[in-house]
Amino acid sequence: MIRVLARFCALLWLCPLCCLAAGPQGSLAAGQVLRGHFVQERHMTGFNAPLKTEGHLVLSAGKGLIWRAEKPFAVTTVITADGLTQASGGTETTRLPAAKLPFLSHLYDMLGGALTGDWHALESDFSIATTGTDKAWQVVLTPRQDQSPIAMRIRTITVTGSKFVDHVTIAKPDGDADDLSFIDQTLSDGPPAADEAAAFDSLAR
Amino acid sequence: MSRWLAILWVMVTAVAGGYLTWRACDGVAFRTDLTALLPREDQNPALQKANDTVVRALSQKLVLLVGDTDRMAARTAATEVTRRLEASGLAELSTSGFDKDRLKAMGTLYFPYRRGLLAAQDRQWLLDGKARELADRALSQVYGFVGMADAALLRNDPFLLMPAFFTNLPLPLSRLTLDDGMLSATVDGTTWILVAGRLTGQPFALDEQKRLGRALDLDGLTAARPGLEILRLGAVFFAQAGAEEAIGESTSISILSTLGTIVLVLAAFRALSPLWLSLLVIATGVVNALAASLWVFGELHVGALLFGVSLIGVTVDYSLQYCAEIFAATATPQVRLKRVLVGISLGMATTAIGYLTLFFAPFPGLHQIAAFSAIGLVASWITVVLWLPALDRSRTPTHGRKMLAWAERFWSAWQDRRWARRRLMLLTLAVVLAGSGLAVLRVDDEVRHLQAPSPALLSQQTRIQQVIGSASANQIFLIQAPDDETALQREEALVEKLRPLVATHALAGFQAPAQFVPSRSRQLDNRRLLAERLDPLLPDHLRQLTLAEAPSAADDSGPVLTLPEALKIGGPLASLSMLVLEPGTHVVTLDGIARQSEIAALSGTIDGVRLIDPTGDYSTLLGKYRGRAIILLGLSALLMAPLLVWRYGIVRGARILLPPLLAVALVPSLRALAGAPFTFFDAMALVLILSIGVDYAVFCAETTQERKAVTLLAVALAAATAVMSFGLLAFSRVQAVHSFGASMFLGILLAFLLAPMARRDE
Repeated sequence: MIRVLARFCALLWLCPLCCLAAGPQGSLAAGQVLRGHFVQERHMTGFNAPLKTEGHLVLSAGKGLIWRAEKPFAVTTVITADGLTQASGGTETTRLPAAKLPFLSHLYDMLGGALTGDWHALESDFSIATTGTDKAWQVVLTPRQDQSPIAMRIRTITVTGSKFVDHVTIAKPDGDADDLSFIDQTLSDGPPAADEAAAFDSLAR
Repeated sequence: MSRWLAILWVMVTAVAGGYLTWRACDGVAFRTDLTALLPREDQNPALQKANDTVVRALSQKLVLLVGDTDRMAARTAATEVTRRLEASGLAELSTSGFDKDRLKAMGTLYFPYRRGLLAAQDRQWLLDGKARELADRALSQVYGFVGMADAALLRNDPFLLMPAFFTNLPLPLSRLTLDDGMLSATVDGTTWILVAGRLTGQPFALDEQKRLGRALDLDGLTAARPGLEILRLGAVFFAQAGAEEAIGESTSISILSTLGTIVLVLAAFRALSPLWLSLLVIATGVVNALAASLWVFGELHVGALLFGVSLIGVTVDYSLQYCAEIFAATATPQVRLKRVLVGISLGMATTAIGYLTLFFAPFPGLHQIAAFSAIGLVASWITVVLWLPALDRSRTPTHGRKMLAWAERFWSAWQDRRWARRRLMLLTLAVVLAGSGLAVLRVDDEVRHLQAPSPALLSQQTRIQQVIGSASANQIFLIQAPDDETALQREEALVEKLRPLVATHALAGFQAPAQFVPSRSRQLDNRRLLAERLDPLLPDHLRQLTLAEAPSAADDSGPVLTLPEALKIGGPLASLSMLVLEPGTHVVTLDGIARQSEIAALSGTIDGVRLIDPTGDYSTLLGKYRGRAIILLGLSALLMAPLLVWRYGIVRGARILLPPLLAVALVPSLRALAGAPFTFFDAMALVLILSIGVDYAVFCAETTQERKAVTLLAVALAAATAVMSFGLLAFSRVQAVHSFGASMFLGILLAFLLAPMARRDE
């Protein structure tokens, strides 16, 4: 069960991630680190208001992703080739080693492609429609198979961007949707900061 | 009179032949599991039944691993293998249908009972007063990057305890993951997909093995796509390889044995008639024995067939005794028969007694061998007595002087006073050898040493274990209780003791039914824990989740999940159904045992929980019955004694028993000096050596002063044919058969060399 869930999650990460890193033509070069602020709104039926999360993210080419939610609940998710951990208030709540989840490493292969601007890795699962210009573009991803596990969770993924990815909307079949906005993104060439590097390395344990 | 009896015997044999033909057309059922030749535990029938169930369940397991560097190719091949297995109806698969329907069905099954279901870790957190951590975990799953919770789930399970419970379900194969409906693993760029389940039939039935092989046609699949690999694991594949080898072996041994016998008889008699008379004796013996055994047992074990075929070498003794009489004074066939009749009848009776004592061994396979050989012996004897004189057209031969002179010399070596001292020295040497050999005698009852599994399959087994992680061990805990509830509670107690062992790597993992369905008392206790420790946090938790609708109030008065409900026909929990043998009888399977002693120490610490180690149990029993075979040996000597005393009196009777008994004592000693271990199968060989040795001694005792060279010549021929057939068994790759053959070889040789001791001419 958890593996199926993990796979869905994997797809959910994958899409914003790859878009984040690269527009239709752009890409994150090796050694580069992208930092930014994010606002995630999860629209779910049964909730008074969207579940809004704010925080910071660090995406390091060749290292992985740190997704640090700060409001309303502090939880840090770290994803590397070794797997995934979640920690809240200094307590690790979830740890999924990639060795136990070969799909995660498979995902990482796909990520690697996407990070270098290669959208083809997604083409087996999604049909991809690109519109707009380099300055203002939009990519719409639609699952190819109606009955696939992906299609059970995702209707479409819409990514809009300019220099970086600005906005991602993941529409789900049951009417729920996740909106992700990225602001204040900066690209630096240096290595990740010490605490960031430590977070990446903690997964290798 | 004898004419009518001979005709009657023709009719009996014709019926036997007809029956055999009919059975052969029908496809004779040969069993191939070597363990069927092994003993039955005789003290505790309930335990034996549970043991049998476990052994059967283990032996029915079927694991195929389909691998290809191309993921899609591997998936296509795995789909095809699955389709073939399901179409054949020979196996039930536990890996097929791992699709969303199965998962949905699992959710539907568990969801109503969620208040009683807690992952081991969650329960421990609640017990340790860490309810806050559980709430935080749920919040991090909602607000974290992994948004795995949806509103519907959160409304019903705000602390997300169900996903944790699902994660805690014991899937036996730790490295595999569900990739789009298939359990797979990627190792060094190769995608491996698991197809596993259990056979619906008997893994040791040859027919079943052949049907499975045809239905799967794995070689065809791998040949069609280079690079595709299919690894196999399961008793059925080992049994098939073993059976193919055993059948091949028994075919070549019987051909060589028959050819050897033919060459010997032709060389000795320089005439065709003794040959075809001997072949007739062998053939009637085998045909009648095979027909009667199949009629009585319904099927025949390949092992019994293998041994039975070798008995050809023994049934030829009587025809040789009769035929060799042509070298003595010229007489009609009837007179020649009369001269040897007492000898071969006594020989037949003592040998049959020896074979029939095998019936006292509690081995189903040995019963077949006992029946097969005893019936063959009697049938061959009847043929010699009723048919041979009528069919015999032999003329007195002109050659043979040399052979007889040699026999005379052999006699004088035993009887001439000049050699008395050397005989004494030789006997002393024999006693010394026997003594020193017995001093270094080493017994070996390890059942694994008795079989020679196919090396190719063994290496596949290792690779499968590498790919899927720890493979399930051949040892399991058996839980016996008056009802399911008690059994589940006992498992929960066992799980408490197993978890620390997993944490310290004494064990890689385990699967207990209670992990799928906790006992009623555990479910009620879980509800209590939730109500006392987690529910108070709920209002605050819901506020943080900003959930509009409060979850429906917890209702803890409803029924708990029961095992029968989880096991419903066609239910989603295929792995659970393999753990529940019958109500109250469950098994806990173990993965990757690293420190055996720590696991074994748990056995018996909980009421009704026992570690079952089928191979270990078999080894213990083999040891027990090795001892029993020695008792059988004494028993058959005792059973023969009255017959010999009745005929010869006490002193001469004892003299006849001396050579075979000496042979019996020398064989294990000489084998031990050569470094061979003493096994149950050596012990069984000794039983046969005794009866065949008594044969030879009786022939020597029964003969007259004029005919004694002729008799010894016949004994030599008989021993040569027996040595040839049993000696060839020593070349078998099956260790059990090899031990038996090697002991027989030595024993018959010694029995022949010592046989003249039985006679004393004053």
